[in-house]
Amino acid sequence: MSGALDDIVVLDVTRGFAPSMTAAFLGDFGARVIRLEPLGGASQRGGVDEDGARSGTWNHEADLIHRNKQSLALDAATVRGRAVLDDLLARCDVVLTDWPLAELAALGLDYAAACARRPDIVVARLSGFGPKGKDCELPAIDELAAARTGMMPIVQQPGEPPVYTGAGAMHAAVLLAFGVVTALLHRQHSGEGQQVDTSLFAGNMYGASLDLQAFLAIGSGDRLLNPISRLDVSNPMSGSLYASADGRWVTLTMPDTDRWWPDLAEITGLDAGDPRFDTHEKRCDLNRLELIHAFEAAFARQNAGHWRALFAARGMSADIIERFDYPASDPVARANRYVVELDHPSFGRVKSLGFPIYMSESPARLASLAPCVGQHTLDVLHGLLGYPVETIHELGACGVVA
Amino acid sequence: MARALEGIRVIDLTVWFQGPVSAQYLADFGAEVIKVERPQGGDQARGVRSIKSLEIGDWNQYFLVNNRNKKSLVIDLRKPEGQQIMYRLVEKADVFLSNLTPAMLDGWNLSWERLREINPRLVYATNTGYGRFGGASRPAFDMTVQALTGIMAQLGEPGQPPIYLGMGSGDAYGGIMSAFAIVTALYQRNRAGHGQCIDASLYGAQLFLAAPQLQSFLAGNSERALQHSRREAANPLWNLYPTRGKWVYVCEPNEDARFRLLCEALGDGALIEDPRFASAAGRAVNNVELIAEFDALAAALDHEALLARCAAHDIVAAPINTLADVVRDPQAWDNDYLLKTWCEEVQREVEVRGLPVTLSKTPGEVNTLGLQLGQDTELLMMDLLEYSWEEIEAFKAAGAIP
Repeated sequence: MSGALDDIVVLDVTRGFAPSMTAAFLGDFGARVIRLEPLGGASQRGGVDEDGARSGTWNHEADLIHRNKQSLALDAATVRGRAVLDDLLARCDVVLTDWPLAELAALGLDYAAACARRPDIVVARLSGFGPKGKDCELPAIDELAAARTGMMPIVQQPGEPPVYTGAGAMHAAVLLAFGVVTALLHRQHSGEGQQVDTSLFAGNMYGASLDLQAFLAIGSGDRLLNPISRLDVSNPMSGSLYASADGRWVTLTMPDTDRWWPDLAEITGLDAGDPRFDTHEKRCDLNRLELIHAFEAAFARQNAGHWRALFAARGMSADIIERFDYPASDPVARANRYVVELDHPSFGRVKSLGFPIYMSESPARLASLAPCVGQHTLDVLHGLLGYPVETIHELGACGVVA
Repeated sequence: MARALEGIRVIDLTVWFQGPVSAQYLADFGAEVIKVERPQGGDQARGVRSIKSLEIGDWNQYFLVNNRNKKSLVIDLRKPEGQQIMYRLVEKADVFLSNLTPAMLDGWNLSWERLREINPRLVYATNTGYGRFGGASRPAFDMTVQALTGIMAQLGEPGQPPIYLGMGSGDAYGGIMSAFAIVTALYQRNRAGHGQCIDASLYGAQLFLAAPQLQSFLAGNSERALQHSRREAANPLWNLYPTRGKWVYVCEPNEDARFRLLCEALGDGALIEDPRFASAAGRAVNNVELIAEFDALAAALDHEALLARCAAHDIVAAPINTLADVVRDPQAWDNDYLLKTWCEEVQREVEVRGLPVTLSKTPGEVNTLGLQLGQDTELLMMDLLEYSWEEIEAFKAAGAIP
């Protein structure tokens, strides 16, 4: 079986977790991803993984976001380094980056320059706030984008601080991957490359799709602008949270209350025929708060495990709020390769996030863990660009590559 | 202008949100998306009348926006004659997408094994709840799946209920993951000549919504599963602060020069001289004390004043905006993240969430909103599927189409 993207060469010029993950997703499906790392390397990687590397523990972040990549260490600020980069661009299908435009232009990695070397190239960039508008060059910091999107002040309980989730950046990572492959599909039949942009702002906005669209259309509504107490949820049987006896939380998603009320009433010991709750309108409108309090009292009588067993037995859309230990040891996550176990050369058997997408004929692969800085310099310059080995040694001696 | 996915025909047998938004991405970039619905009311999302207890007004923005740029075909797939129509459609399609359960699809003779016999070039895509392996067949609504990933339990202040990321947050993410999977499989199909079976599940996608935190947990950092208070943020310079108005996000590295500037912005020179906070290490160790100091200073100001002072001192900061702010944000409109389009149902322009991915030469478009149930049935039966009028009458008589 071959990789879906194994005829694609990607130049990975990224710093942030999310765009690096985008490049890894392309590598998972067979693309040859070459990570451009300035000599010295550390400044490009940043974050937790550097701390990990220093303290001698597993660099778990690098082995996720830089898996299936090659590393080229190059001083592109030198004349000869720039020439190497130009040769490399001529062989690349995609440049993937989150750098500010000025930095890209300084190295000849902007779209115009890349296009001059490779007319059908796809240059894809994760920006902070999009390619247009007065804030197009604000830094790509997800917290700033999340702050601007409108969800941070409404997801928590009333009176609590706003919440930053980080989900917007992960959304942007996949939007960017979709944009790249869509552009490659277009190139496949037209021969034409182009620029692709998505932003952390866009990622946060699409993560908030339904709330955002509701507010756009309705134009007002305290319940879209302020947090809603869990004891004031719109449907006591959907989107609701109740504490069980052992303190673990139970959540219900059964918007069709007519269908599920008899079952739920029975397992919680409520009277299905209670005239206060015997229609959807009474449950979700007229006597909504009373029903919430009835559930609140009922769920507090038993531990979470008790409720899970009853939900499962009746096929109800309801479950317990789990912590990360659940997916870490969940056989379903393992069976689908969402979480994988791998043999790390230094740290033995470790668990890692795996692959979110299943493909029957061209499955995601784990060909390699994160490369050391410069690990593939020879491979790229000789194997891909055809430089004679002597030239590569000479470039190394001058400090242009490592 | 050229469309990136021109010529790609997608059968969209989806309901609610994840599947429909996945196909929406393909339709936005020019694919011909044919939404197939049951005769009795179609996609259940057509019935949405309120969101968060707010009346949705005179147009159903939930359904109409998720299903924009699509055609509408009604078939009763429980009938063998309906399945015959579907098979003919499959012959002429590039992609089959469904977020119905595999068991339901099997029951209608629409399994991958069956459809690949009809069209070996077909990309067969499902959005299951928990993946195609491992035997989990529980109901899979957004929040019940999000509950299992662990992402909710690590958000919010300690002791507070877990945080749901927002209506449809996981569905939205599963939707873009699915769109990425589909274009990748199409790229591979165009090279290899045959399609494949792919799946982007709600669970698999959502495990990546908190990828940095979950990966850290898998590597042994067990405290990452727990809630962390903003009062104990490791870097007090990168934190949320309350003002008399909106909260403000300050995003600065823990460096001496940035600390001095922030203190000056907050108007407290004495803090700079405080020996507890004189170094990055000191600020990290005494983070709780420093955050309390910053809290008191910020709380004395309104957000406009604080942000003006931050701007004057070159401190990166943003207000925590609401949905009412983002719908007026020029940056969102300038990038087509929000746009206006004609709504047939109410005969006026309405505002919709737009195009989060910008392709410079083949941009997305929003041309129509979701159509009336079955609006294109007869036309598609005649023009695309080339049934004679007599055959169409026979299908109607059999109840396969309305």
